[in-house]
Amino acid sequence: MKNNLYTLCYAAILGMACSVLLTATKNFTEPYRAANARADEIRHILAALKVPLKADQPSKRLLDIFNRVVVKRELGDMVTYEYVPSGTQGRVEAIALRFSGPGLWGPIKGLLALESDAETIRGVTFYEHEETPGLGGKISSASFREQFEGKSIVNETGKFGIVIRKGDSQLARNSVHGITGATMTCNKVEAMLNTAIQAFIEAKDIHGQ
Amino acid sequence: MANEKQPVCVSCGAKGPCGGKGLPTLKEGLWTSNPLAIQVLGICSALAVTNRLENSLVMGIALIFVCVGSNLFVSLLRNVTPHRIRMIAEVAIIATFVILFDQFLKAFYWDMSKQLGPYVGLIITNCIVMGRAEAFALQNPPLLSMVDGAANGLGYACVLAVVGFFRELLGTGKVLDMTVLDGKWYKPNQLMILAPGAFFALGIIIAVLNALKGPEAEEKKQ
Repeated sequence: MKNNLYTLCYAAILGMACSVLLTATKNFTEPYRAANARADEIRHILAALKVPLKADQPSKRLLDIFNRVVVKRELGDMVTYEYVPSGTQGRVEAIALRFSGPGLWGPIKGLLALESDAETIRGVTFYEHEETPGLGGKISSASFREQFEGKSIVNETGKFGIVIRKGDSQLARNSVHGITGATMTCNKVEAMLNTAIQAFIEAKDIHGQ
Repeated sequence: MANEKQPVCVSCGAKGPCGGKGLPTLKEGLWTSNPLAIQVLGICSALAVTNRLENSLVMGIALIFVCVGSNLFVSLLRNVTPHRIRMIAEVAIIATFVILFDQFLKAFYWDMSKQLGPYVGLIITNCIVMGRAEAFALQNPPLLSMVDGAANGLGYACVLAVVGFFRELLGTGKVLDMTVLDGKWYKPNQLMILAPGAFFALGIIIAVLNALKGPEAEEKKQ
């Protein structure tokens, strides 16, 4: 009986000590992690919209630029970011929308940017994923992402959607090549892109632009 | 092992704080029973993160930190830990150190933390860390346990660095993101970046290390 009590007390104290230490670390690193995440998000929105930037801008400067040229709009549940270059009297040059969904190991989140015609893809970025480094992780590489640029989110017959095909296959105006060794990741990315595109088209129809 | 005469630590002699076992312990972890090359433990992470040298190095540092920290605390608590829950206690200590390192990476090395993805967190399940706590830190004083943790962490880190070096070099023609093998006469071999490349690289390294040790080492063990 005495033994059990000792074991319980030991476990409780050890557990407490560990959790106090972890909570302290979490609180200490919270502002850094939050700032990293925010800067990362802004950097990705600006990059997806292809806002011209000088290399190696400090985070604070990026925030200034972001506040000046990017307009956040809500179409129902859908949040879009519009790039309105300064000195163009409010002409929208590009629209970015978020997409997200389950990846192979964890959630994947990214941004899809469209030209002002809302059909041609301006760029795709991934700002959060836990895919296998070197395989699915390549979704964030330039060679994969650049394939999307100039593609359309509408196919030849007027149907909305993006297709990620196996390497070497013929490409249509709305398809790109996948990553060898990362078919599962590519399928999931394709699905989440299409969900976002559908939601955007519907939101645009209802709320107008 | 028991009746084998242990060589005496040259740095402090038998009377030093480690009881003359410091250097042999270091050698054991780094070379004679290297956790990756000899015991072939913890190869899951070794295969997963070694496609770039930089990733391998950070992962090695993470394991050294966790091994030293967990061995120290498991050893400090070894006389008061109830035997029945010792493994749970070890896991709690190991997990604490892993999360500490993960948080540190997320706060100050955001890009690296994103590249390593889930593998830093998965150090909790790395058999090397748990194995050293069970096999060494539970029976030995804190200082010596720290040496053991460092030795095993270093042993892991060294093999990881070698695997990472060759995979990055042969797979992309680069070392630490600097182009070494020119694209004109060397075509990067994608296989080395993919998971099977890690098996080949690690297998060849283990084979070479065994060959270097010679057949005597195998016989002595038996």
